[in-house]
Order: sequence, then C-alpha cells, then structure tokens
Amino acid sequence: MVRFKNRWLLVELLPVPAPLPGRAPTGQPQEGLTSKQIWAALKQSIITHFGDTGWGAVGSSLTIKYFSPRTNLCIIRVAREPHKIAWAGVALMTAIDGRRYVPHVVHVSGTIKQAQLAAIRHNREIVARYRARAKLPAGYQDSYEEYLQTSAQEIEALQD
Amino acid sequence: MFADLNVPVPTLTKQQLTQAASKKGKGKQEPSGPPPAFSPAQITAIESRLDLLVHCRYILFLVVKRVLIMALLVGYTIVAFNQTVERKVDPKTHVNTLDPLLAQLRKRQGVVYLKRLTIVLDEDSEKGFGLTNGNAALFAPYDLLALVPTTAASFSLACLTHTQPTPLTTHIIALPLTLPRLPFNLKHTLIRAALKNGAVFELGYVGALGGESDPALSLPSGGESGAGAKRNWWAAAREVARVTKGKGILVSGGVWNEADLRAPRDVANLITVLGVSQDIAHDASTKVAQSLVLRAQTRRTYRAVLSEPKVIIPSLAVPGATDIEMKDDQTQLPAPADQGTNGKKRPLEQGGPNDTTLSEPSATATQDGSNLDGASRTKKKKRKAAAS
Repeated sequence: MVRFKNRWLLVELLPVPAPLPGRAPTGQPQEGLTSKQIWAALKQSIITHFGDTGWGAVGSSLTIKYFSPRTNLCIIRVAREPHKIAWAGVALMTAIDGRRYVPHVVHVSGTIKQAQLAAIRHNREIVARYRARAKLPAGYQDSYEEYLQTSAQEIEALQD
Repeated sequence: MFADLNVPVPTLTKQQLTQAASKKGKGKQEPSGPPPAFSPAQITAIESRLDLLVHCRYILFLVVKRVLIMALLVGYTIVAFNQTVERKVDPKTHVNTLDPLLAQLRKRQGVVYLKRLTIVLDEDSEKGFGLTNGNAALFAPYDLLALVPTTAASFSLACLTHTQPTPLTTHIIALPLTLPRLPFNLKHTLIRAALKNGAVFELGYVGALGGESDPALSLPSGGESGAGAKRNWWAAAREVARVTKGKGILVSGGVWNEADLRAPRDVANLITVLGVSQDIAHDASTKVAQSLVLRAQTRRTYRAVLSEPKVIIPSLAVPGATDIEMKDDQTQLPAPADQGTNGKKRPLEQGGPNDTTLSEPSATATQDGSNLDGASRTKKKKRKAAAS
C-alpha cells in the first residue's frame, strides 16, 4: 500500500532585534505576521536557493498548518522526500516582509501528534524560562497559565 | 552539546584609538606605559582615551553580547570568541582583546566560553607571520588557533607545518569560502596530512546566508557579500566536503549580525545539502568540535602526549614470565625527536603473559607508541587494562 508520508516541522521565528527577556510573550508593537506571509517568504527562499526544480519538488505539499503570532511558532507540513529541501529553505530564510527573523527549527516529526506534543512542550519551556528570569515564587498565578492553556487548545485542534 | 566555535569579536585598531584621542588633545603613542610626571593637558588626553577605550570596549561588549544571547537562545552551549589578525602577528602591537571581554561577560551556567585567534595569511605572510616559538607566550592564553590561507603556498604551509603537534599548532584551517574563485586547488594529499595530524577544516555558514562577514576589515583579496557570496560559498563548500569526504569538517558561525545566526540542527541540515551524510553532518557541530577543543588543550603538553605512558621493559621471552612495568611521568618521557608523527600506533592491548612472544618488539613500540598524539586517539588515559 502506498501511504503519503509527511514531515512536520516546528519552527520558531525569532524576531530580530530580540526583545528584552523580561517582556511577556504576548503583544507585538507592529502588525503581526500571517501564515500567508510566511508561505510567500518560504517560497521565495526556496526558489532563490534551489530554483524552480526545488520549488516544484516541495511546492505541492508545502502547507503552513498553524501559526501563532503571540509566540511566533509555526508548524509546516511537507512531504517526506523533499523535506530536507524545505528545511534548508526555512534555514536560509532571512526576512519576512522586510523584517528580519531568525528561523529556529525546534522539532521535526513524522506525525502530527508528535508535532503537537513538541509544540506544547516548547511553549512550556519558554514560559518556564520567562518565569525563571523574573524569579517568581513557585505557585504564583500569572497570565502565563491561561496563555498556555489557550495555546495548547489551539494546537490540539489541528487536523491533518 | 552544540558548539559554535566562531563568534567574531571586532578588533579595535590602534589607529581608531589614537585618531579619536588626538581630536581631544595631545595623545600619546604608547597606550600602556607607566607615565612619568604629566601636565594637566596630557592627563585629560589620557583620561579621554581611557574613556574611549572603556566606551569602545563597552560597545564591543554589547555587539558581542547580542550575538551571544541569540546563540544561547538557539541552543549553543560551547562558544568560542574569535579575534582575527591580518597578515602577521606582531608581538609589539598585538593586543589581546578577548581577556577583558570575557571578564565583562556574566558567567552563565552550563555555557563554556573559549578564546580563539585567527590569522589571515596572504602572500606577505609566506615568509613568516609570527607563529614562532619566540612568540609562544602571546598565544598561550588562546584556547584555539586558526589560520585562513588565501594562497596556495600558505595553504600548504598551513596544512603541513602548522598542524604538527607543538605548542603552536593551529588546529583549525578555515578556508575563505566567499572568494570568487578558490585560489588554490585542494590537494587531497595535503588535506589528508592535515587531517591525520588532527586539524579540522572549518566551514562558516554565514556565507551561505549572504550575511556580512567582518565589517571592520573586508576579507583580503575581496570576498563579496550578497548573492555572489552565496554562490561562491556553495561551490567552495561543496568542494571542501568532497575532498575531505565530510570527515574533518567543523561547522561554525562567523556571524557578525545576530540575525544571521542559525540553530545547530538547521546548520547540520544545510551541510547535508552539500552531500555529506546526516550523521557526519550532525557530528560536525558536536563531536568534531568537542574533540577539537580537547585536542587543542594538548598544546600545553609535550608533543600532544595526553596519557601517562607506561614503560614496559621486556623480560626475556620466557612463557609465563610477566613483564616488568614502570610507570613513567609524561614529562620525563624520553621521546625521540621525530616521534611526533609516529604516534598513530595504537597503544597495544596486550594479552598479558600469553603474549610474551610478541612482547619484545611491541615493548619498544610501546615506549614510543604510547605517544598518543593529537590525531584521532586522544581520549582519557589509556591503560593497558588487558595487560594488568
């Protein structure tokens, strides 16, 4: 039987210049990114570096499945054979819509379930980092809790 | 676990310092000299220069700090700060900019800071560029030494002479990947000799992104930045990967602008596009880097001997008789002068009394074969556990 195999890339787009670590992950002063803009920038990057053949290999299967403007976390689905091309395209992407970002691929998995788990884990790590910086006492209730829950729900809601 | 062994530190040229100081008043040529009695004008001049130095250092520190923070955010734990020197190292004018910088950086848990010096070689350096035993004290504070050859002669010099295990070994050979045409052929024999001696070839990924490399000095003989640099980078990097078969490759940043930094696994994926297999590419930023740092510490030893060699005096070849073993301190080992390159022999795992027939020729071999030289055998103490 022929199953269509995919790779799910979990990409964090770190904005440059980096915001101060004390600031919460919510809220961006400028207008947010959309998944369409990311897709366009990724397409441009693959065409520049791998040409039309590269885009032809990747393009039909490349989709941005999830993007959260608050954490700049992005989940991209590609087919399994050309996933290295797509991954390299992500790594070589320097700017989206004129603004510079550092793309950081956090996790690559073969199933959407693992990608979801990795995304939730990543969010928790980021929040833990913020909390450690702010040196909050344990058990302190802050807005991060509610944010973690909403983002977890959004991620769980992803369908293949 | 991931190492970025090239975080460049911009150099404060002496010219910048004296230029800025002379605007404010009389400046002295020698920044560090115990001054005799001063007139008030000179004192203000010196103070203004000190302010500038502190200010410049602070800006330097800020610039480097941003790259460092981004690197840590993205997952690097071993970071080497790189000071670049052009053409030759002059003991009179060489300033170690890394020590004060490191003093200013906060100690971060789980992160290792290293110091590295890179010397860019061109035609003028063929006669000599200061990497001599006389200047060895200058190089002692640096953990890693690197060379960037730009001509064929300097390349063969770098590969053959400077990878020998001495206190001045340059373990890293960084090729300028953004030059329009790699000026020399990468000859397989040279590269193999360098790899055997334990050197690694460095690929800096900033060229692949078309990022700016080194705003202070543009690479000698003109490396470009932008689309042209990217094309040259892919061509040259592919060539290096082909000749070394991926084995002795070290991947590092060389990133000036923090926006050009990339996560270690992303970089490993870029190297696989060059034709290197996935596990070797992953090793290029982990195992190769770590063993390189360890190997670089052998600069402090004599001819890269790491372990405590055991001298075995063979008894007469009587089956059942055990050999007399003497432990020898590594500084007292009477290593013959040309043993440096012979150290490839693996220290023999002897089977004890069963092997006494082999013990005679092998005992002499162990005397000099215990030289674990820098190349591939440097690990912790190798004890002949089987023998005892």
